[in-house]
Amino acid sequence: MSIALHQHPRAHPIGEVLLAVENVSLSFGGVKALSDISFDVREHEIRAIIGPNGAGKSSMLNVLNGVYHPQKGTIRLRGKSFSDMVSHEAAAMGIARTFQNIALFKGMTVLDNILTGRNLKMRSNFLQQALWWGPARREELAHRHAVEEVIDFLEIQHIRKTPVGRLPYGLQKRVELARALAAEPTILLLDEPMAGMNLEEKQDMCRFVLDVNDHYGTTIVLIEHDMGVVMDISDRVVVLDYGRKIGDGTPDDVRANQAVIDAYLGVTH
Amino acid sequence: MTFFIEVLAGGLLAGVMYSLVALGFVLIYKASGVFNFAQGAMVFLAALTFVSLLEMGWNFWLALLVTLVVMVGVGVLTERIVLRPLVNQPPITLFMATIGLTFVLEGLSQMVWGSQPHGLELGIADVPMEWLSEKWNINISKFDLFAAAVAGVLVASLAVFFQKTRIGRALRAVADDHQAALAVGISLQHIWAIVWAVAGFVALVAGMMWGVRNGVQYALTFTALKALPVLILGGFESVPGAIIGGLIIGASEKVAEVYLGPYVGGGIESWFAYVIALVFLLVRPQGLFGEKIIDRV
Amino acid sequence: MLYREAGQFKSTYAEDMQIFPIRQDRIGVILLLAVAFLVVPFVATQYWFSALLIPFLVLSLATLGLNILTGYAGQISLGTAAFMAVGAFMAYNAELRIPGMPLLGSFIIGGLCAAAVGVVFGLPSLRIKGFYLAVATLACQFFVLWAINRVGWFTNYSSSGVISAQKMVILGYTFDTPASKYVLTLSIVVVLALLAKNLMRSETGRAFMAVRDMDVAAEVIGIPMMKTKLLAFAISSFYCGVAGALYAYCYLGTVEPEAFVLDLSFRVLFMVIIGGVGSIMGSFVGAAFITLLPIFLNLATEVIANTFDIEISHAVVSNAELMIFGGLIIFFLIVEPNGLARLWQIAKEKLRLWPFPH
Repeated sequence: MSIALHQHPRAHPIGEVLLAVENVSLSFGGVKALSDISFDVREHEIRAIIGPNGAGKSSMLNVLNGVYHPQKGTIRLRGKSFSDMVSHEAAAMGIARTFQNIALFKGMTVLDNILTGRNLKMRSNFLQQALWWGPARREELAHRHAVEEVIDFLEIQHIRKTPVGRLPYGLQKRVELARALAAEPTILLLDEPMAGMNLEEKQDMCRFVLDVNDHYGTTIVLIEHDMGVVMDISDRVVVLDYGRKIGDGTPDDVRANQAVIDAYLGVTH
Repeated sequence: MTFFIEVLAGGLLAGVMYSLVALGFVLIYKASGVFNFAQGAMVFLAALTFVSLLEMGWNFWLALLVTLVVMVGVGVLTERIVLRPLVNQPPITLFMATIGLTFVLEGLSQMVWGSQPHGLELGIADVPMEWLSEKWNINISKFDLFAAAVAGVLVASLAVFFQKTRIGRALRAVADDHQAALAVGISLQHIWAIVWAVAGFVALVAGMMWGVRNGVQYALTFTALKALPVLILGGFESVPGAIIGGLIIGASEKVAEVYLGPYVGGGIESWFAYVIALVFLLVRPQGLFGEKIIDRV
Repeated sequence: MLYREAGQFKSTYAEDMQIFPIRQDRIGVILLLAVAFLVVPFVATQYWFSALLIPFLVLSLATLGLNILTGYAGQISLGTAAFMAVGAFMAYNAELRIPGMPLLGSFIIGGLCAAAVGVVFGLPSLRIKGFYLAVATLACQFFVLWAINRVGWFTNYSSSGVISAQKMVILGYTFDTPASKYVLTLSIVVVLALLAKNLMRSETGRAFMAVRDMDVAAEVIGIPMMKTKLLAFAISSFYCGVAGALYAYCYLGTVEPEAFVLDLSFRVLFMVIIGGVGSIMGSFVGAAFITLLPIFLNLATEVIANTFDIEISHAVVSNAELMIFGGLIIFFLIVEPNGLARLWQIAKEKLRLWPFPH
């Protein structure tokens, strides 16, 4: 199936290593969430992180964009290492993400939510904005243009002026993806993008993830519970269990990996 | 040196008075998540009712009992009229409602009992203890010690109430998790009414102590403002925090007033406590007894 | 039927992003402004100007300021009156000490000083949240008033602490009649409200709301927490500062610390809540409501006293007022916790469909 999806030549062939995780360990007051994890992500690829509950997947994602700070190890982006960045610096470096429990701005409309994604690209200062004049006005219009493209791409034109709090779950997930995309990220981190969705919504979301990768060439790192989905859409898969890496490779490799099978079937260690 | 000890002891004992008011805040915040700004007004209402009954020639214990009944009534009515319709509203809305309640209680107390100040006597003179003054040359008021003892007894009995009784267990369950408490069949409304009644009782004790010290007058409502720095220092949810926080605030405020005040023109007690609490919070945002919060995303 | 956007097609983003996209709204606002500027100054009485309109406008501005901080950026503050006091006293000192300082320049200096104080007392917001922050802002309230009372420079070493505000002269015209003071206040408030409206619908406003709704997500998107929160404190305090200067110059006519006590902070907070959190228009509605309420209550007690021919003592009246005021606030919170602005929104939605129910 994974072969079938990528049958046609990719518009953005998989390139060099873009993001490298090296010997990362993270613990919360004695509880080890991640121990000595290393893996890499190549340009334009779709990389999945899977594992049973409590394996440390979300923690791993949180380390990647600076929400958590690992006690040991480094993260390299295009060969440049950083170990202690805060999340808005990660955003400035082109890392955008979505959250497992939707983290939209509930009091704002869909349009405003997606516009926040372009916040980093806005240059006018607040005085110009208060006057709604000259550069500030031009900028708002230009970014509105860019955001409308994302809105078209994700097919959410009909809800652009609806407050996000009123939207159903599936659509909220899509708006969150739109907000992340609006930042035109190099790397997109998706935390369980299909969790809690019905089959149809899952299919839609799969299509969007593949389209994003294909159309914008965005490198995607995703966490997902649904094994079928993961195996179908990702190029390579990292498997975590109890904060350790137990497998890494193409979906077929991982499927054949005994340690992975044991972890999922619950063989005692 | 003896002077310093005297200042420090005076400060610690004044801190106990702050703790008394802070306790009322903590009880309500723990059980219902409401930052009850009306606690100061409740202190005022309790003290004013009590002293007015005494002045009408009532027996001490009868007056105490009737005041307690009034405070319990206020607590139950507040739950019924104010809190119940506001269930599930954001905390700021509830906070605003208690500011509204403050106005109602202040207006009510003065409408019923008038607004002239009263003196209150509990039979313990607010004068320095002679033997201490003679032997060590330290002036500490007998009444301060009495207030500290009362606070001690109050905290101990609250602890017993919370730990040993069935209602106490239900209270702790509600404080921990509203939903879970509901799921095991604890009536939130019931519990809130009880908590407000207990807070009313604490307000009565605080009102009596403050009433003896400063007289029963409108300014009693400002005791709430004195208790707030104690709360941010000790944490909104911690009974020990209220006590220790009160002691720290009381002591440092008094020491600063005596040793620092003259250099800046005095009167610093209106804000100094807040600054201590703030500086402390900047170093340790979770407060004295809070646990470090990890933001989960 | 009258109020609907059907048929008003927008063909460019610029049209869609106008300040009032719906034609009826535009007409309404223009009419309102026309009446306020061209009709009211000629028909209102002295009492209307000095007891109703000027305090309403000034407090609207303060409410707007607090709404930027609390309603848009989600940071509770109980120190509004302190920021107003800074604005009033610094405007007074600028006018007093800088020769040839134009009046509006003094007001702006007052606002900027308030903004600076706001930033300093906004610093704790980087570490603490919610009620802890609210209580921390009380520190500002008490400290600022203490400083003004203690440091003679602020009050120009006046013994009573009550100073009369200087004459207001702009380009040779003296604003000394109530009507002229009203026009001056109205102009400043309208301009600042428009600026706030623009700011809140652009990038800065979205950053504020993002921080309010979910700060972790905002940071992940790349919104710098420190800059955003401090900017919110600065802008909000600037508005409060200018409001404070207007309060002293146009309403009271005196500059005194007693005018800026904690009670005023609470009143402004009430205006925000009752008007509508996170709504520019709500700030005006809330201010109108709280300003009119005591006056209305006074009238009501007079009517009651006259009809039943009873003597109501002053103490009873003021206590009853206190209770009704508190009671109404609770009532409002229960009936419409999102404020009067929300009621207006619901009414608009109904109007759009009228006469059909759906």
